[in-house]
Amino acid sequence: MCETRLFLVREIHMKMSAAKVKMRGKKMRNQPSSVQYVESGTQNGGGGDEGPSSIHPSTKRQTNTHQRGGWVRGHQKDGGGYSREMPNYITAGAFARARAEEVSTMLKAVTKTTGSCHVFGALPKHMRRRAMSHNTKRLPCRLREVANRMRERSLQAGPKKKKEQAKRKSRKARRRHGNLLLEFNRRQRKNIWLETHIWHAKRFHMVKKWGYCLGNKPTYKCYRSCHRAMSGHCLLQDLSYYCCIELRGEEEKLLASLSQLTGKETGPTFAAALCLSGRRQGSVVVYRAGQYPTQPLGPVTFLWRPRSQELTNRQLWIWAHPTIKQDLLLELQMVCQCCDPVVPPVVTPAEVFPTLQLEPKPEKTSDAKQITETKRKRKCKDASGPPAKKILGDGTRSPSTPVTWNSSSNRIVISDLTMEIVRYRLIGPQSFSVLAETMEAATVCNEINISKPSHLWWPEQCKSESKMNLHQQQTHVFHILKGIFSTGELPSGTVLGLTVDDPRLTLPTKKVKALPCVRPAQEMDEKRRELMLQGVPELCCQSDLWEQSVRSNVADNKTSEQELNRMRNEVLVPGSRLSPTPPQGRVPILLVQQPGKQVGNEMSSWGAGWDLLLPKGWGMAFWVPLVYRGVRIGGLNMSLKHSQNKGAPHFPHDYPDCPAGVRFQEEQEAELLAKFKRRPPAKRTNYIKHGCLAPFCCPWQQLSEECELITTEGEEERRGECQSTTEADTVMEEMTSYGEIAETKPLSRVVVLRNRKSLRLLSGWCRATTSKGQKSCRVGELPPLDRSAMTVFLTAHRMSLVWVRLSVLCKGKPELHAMVCVPTAEDLNLLKKKCGSSGPQEPPHRDHFKSSVRRRKKEPKKAAQSSWCSDNIQGKESVFSTEPNPTTSVVLNSSSSDIILGLWPDPLPSITSNCSRVTLGWVTQGDFSLSAGCGEALGFVSVTALLKTLFNQPMEHRGVLLLRNPTSLHYRFAKINIEV
Amino acid sequence: MSDPRTPGMSSVPQAAPVHTDSTSPAVEMDPVEYTLRKRLPRKLPKRRNDVYVNMKTDFRAQLARCQKLLEGGAHREICVHGLGLAINRAINIALQLQASSQGVLQLAANTSTVELVDDLEPEDPDEAGEHLTRTRNNSAIHIKVFYPDPQ
Repeated sequence: MCETRLFLVREIHMKMSAAKVKMRGKKMRNQPSSVQYVESGTQNGGGGDEGPSSIHPSTKRQTNTHQRGGWVRGHQKDGGGYSREMPNYITAGAFARARAEEVSTMLKAVTKTTGSCHVFGALPKHMRRRAMSHNTKRLPCRLREVANRMRERSLQAGPKKKKEQAKRKSRKARRRHGNLLLEFNRRQRKNIWLETHIWHAKRFHMVKKWGYCLGNKPTYKCYRSCHRAMSGHCLLQDLSYYCCIELRGEEEKLLASLSQLTGKETGPTFAAALCLSGRRQGSVVVYRAGQYPTQPLGPVTFLWRPRSQELTNRQLWIWAHPTIKQDLLLELQMVCQCCDPVVPPVVTPAEVFPTLQLEPKPEKTSDAKQITETKRKRKCKDASGPPAKKILGDGTRSPSTPVTWNSSSNRIVISDLTMEIVRYRLIGPQSFSVLAETMEAATVCNEINISKPSHLWWPEQCKSESKMNLHQQQTHVFHILKGIFSTGELPSGTVLGLTVDDPRLTLPTKKVKALPCVRPAQEMDEKRRELMLQGVPELCCQSDLWEQSVRSNVADNKTSEQELNRMRNEVLVPGSRLSPTPPQGRVPILLVQQPGKQVGNEMSSWGAGWDLLLPKGWGMAFWVPLVYRGVRIGGLNMSLKHSQNKGAPHFPHDYPDCPAGVRFQEEQEAELLAKFKRRPPAKRTNYIKHGCLAPFCCPWQQLSEECELITTEGEEERRGECQSTTEADTVMEEMTSYGEIAETKPLSRVVVLRNRKSLRLLSGWCRATTSKGQKSCRVGELPPLDRSAMTVFLTAHRMSLVWVRLSVLCKGKPELHAMVCVPTAEDLNLLKKKCGSSGPQEPPHRDHFKSSVRRRKKEPKKAAQSSWCSDNIQGKESVFSTEPNPTTSVVLNSSSSDIILGLWPDPLPSITSNCSRVTLGWVTQGDFSLSAGCGEALGFVSVTALLKTLFNQPMEHRGVLLLRNPTSLHYRFAKINIEV
Repeated sequence: MSDPRTPGMSSVPQAAPVHTDSTSPAVEMDPVEYTLRKRLPRKLPKRRNDVYVNMKTDFRAQLARCQKLLEGGAHREICVHGLGLAINRAINIALQLQASSQGVLQLAANTSTVELVDDLEPEDPDEAGEHLTRTRNNSAIHIKVFYPDPQ
């Protein structure tokens, strides 16, 4: 009897899915256990314990029939054809007793409710309605009473569970100004809001990144129109989250300290003459002190304040991404020997704006004095009653007063100006037209205002003759620049300081599209030409934005919206310009030209634009007028596309050797993996079958290590051949060499090649051509790519990656983490025969892990099942559970619980040789490029492997590689470009 | 400004009108010292019937574009501009247009000189090198393709 049952149970389990088993288990929970027996017992005449009985005449037929009926749901494939010896006879008495017992258990089972004890369960599906649970009158009469009872019971149980919630205020109360401000302050305590946050939050998908709330992409569809704006008109972005670090000190000392952070081989550094004069903005990749070329931190841009007579010290702003700010600050403090934190004079802000600081978060460096200071402020805020009036500006941001450090030895002062300066980026050829239309150079104060002393900065400035002269010159330059049609015509990185009127005064009533006003004027033309050649004179690069006192003065004395509206109300002709300009309506700004695409031969100066630097608090005052000039607004998403079209690496996505880049990759991997796991297993891509080892994260380290290994092995082999040793010897040698490598040369961390000379060399070897395959007209006298040149290059740059751009030759759109592979000779023949060949296919791989994953899945089921029938079959259980599956146990032992169907488990096999084509690297940004009109990918490849590939390729196909998406088996031909 | 130029490592402006360097690779400046960057040629506002010819776009596509403009009926005349290397192509397009119209269209060509700006960025390691800017001239052609007035 037990045996039969056991068999049946097992069979059931073979045929039922896990969910069914679970359901069944639930249903059977309250059932007497031996009901099962009914079906199996009827035919073979009672239990197995009864002993021999008379021969049943129609054993076989009945066996079949019983398989059909009974409890087993679903289709039975083989009819459960187990051959079992039937008893030869049955005893009538025992048989009858057994049946009687069964009948009684059946009766018992019938009276008890099954698994789900809901009344609706009693109704057939087509009669159930959702509303029945609310309104029992919708139920048929016979069920109503039961349902009522259950409802009462659940109602009684309900309130106990529910937590007592604080009563929410009414919407009206919540939207009241003060309460709203408090709410906003609470919400931005953790992630800082930019000044344009509320504007963005209404229109963008916001993400919390790097300690800020940033707009990722607009809620409306605008991908193409944003691209059009970037290449034809103007796209606006708020880059205020970039952190500014100010350094003050003597020029030589600053330069000496900063030179430790950069490598001169990567291009102009902080000391470049043009940047040092303050006429241009520079950009540089910063390394840890003295560690070049290893351990880079990330790219920064920097701006020197122009020299002036009254200042002996130089001032330098370093703009960095928030992810590297902390590292950079530490590094700067180290090289400048600045580690004495200075408490900034806190008196002024507290007096000017007693209600300004809300929840002062004590900075980690702040000492006791500052804490007491903040407490005093809080108190006075409480006393003053109403909460802060200012949402924007510094009011609601975590009011970390810029922490300053100075050094006793070389008198360098470092201050952190994060969120002190608003930075907007305008991308596109018409950026300057937009700026010119939005802003007007500041009008000079009239005599009356000048004569009386004022606490505002502009009337004070108007008193000084030289300052006014400077202002005149700057205004003149600004007017000349209006005559230039496209931003790309200017010298890259041009800086212009200016003082402008409050742009809200000239806000148009309707959105208008700013158009350039290029008028041919003879004398203007001459000046324009001079400006184009010489750039903006050094004097005009000066701006009052550099002065801390002016910045705070302007930020504190901003005209409120309310005041402006009152002025608008009083104007006689509605919609006309507000005049005269209120004395506090002048703002010092800095305009910095951003060079567009500088590398490569095509699309030169694409995406050039202007950066607008403003004092804090004036963000929205400039943002809305800019938006009213018909610009498009882009989010983080668009800045990624911008750098992608420029062919430039985007921080932190494309800096795998920087700590921030590594962190980003980890985050991205986790995100992609989570996304992958959210899909039902049957609908997931099986990356193993696609031969894709790392679909979510690129193991750069392993790749370059393998490439190094292959080259060294190759060399060993060659040497072995020269010595005409036997094969066994070579193998031996290889093994020893492998051992040597592992022991003697500890492979360093992977680095990205940024040495300009080497890049130029490499670029020449790749036969730099345009993406359409046209031959570049001029390749200078490069040393030919031969073995000696290769060895020299490789010894200089071990374990390095190089940033490449790949343009797909015909079809195909590269995606994230697509593989860059080496074409075989046959592939190249294919390409030679038919130019538009779509490319070879990767033979599908076998997934060896699939079966083990399946088996592992079954394991818990078995366990559940064994426990389920343990009460009956204790004796047999041991036998049952100890029919082990050797492979399963092996897999279970070998790999921990993180096998995911379709992904390689952790120790990855050899990356380079996993597929039929050797892998060189991966794509980090890939898309259909709207500006090039074909698929374009940006990514890294291993220098070692790339050089070897190039060396082996015939001249006419040099630089042709294959691209394969992780979700596809199709290789596509692509042309490699290394742009310097 | 007899300084020779860098071979290679130059960026050709992409936007229309395309120009190529008239003085060719016969140059002998040390490539380590300076990098040549060409700025975009000066752009002027463009009317709808202005066609700037470049060397990147397919010839047939540019021809078709001009034909569409003329046959669309909106414009009695179009202007085909070409700079540097693209002069040849601009002339070709204009002649093709004329030929395909069976002599109805008339041409009026003008030539001009365009001033182009190059930046020379110093590459020397001690970074004391002066940033140079210089100008050079290139020829351009402006061909008016038009239907003559009926009288």
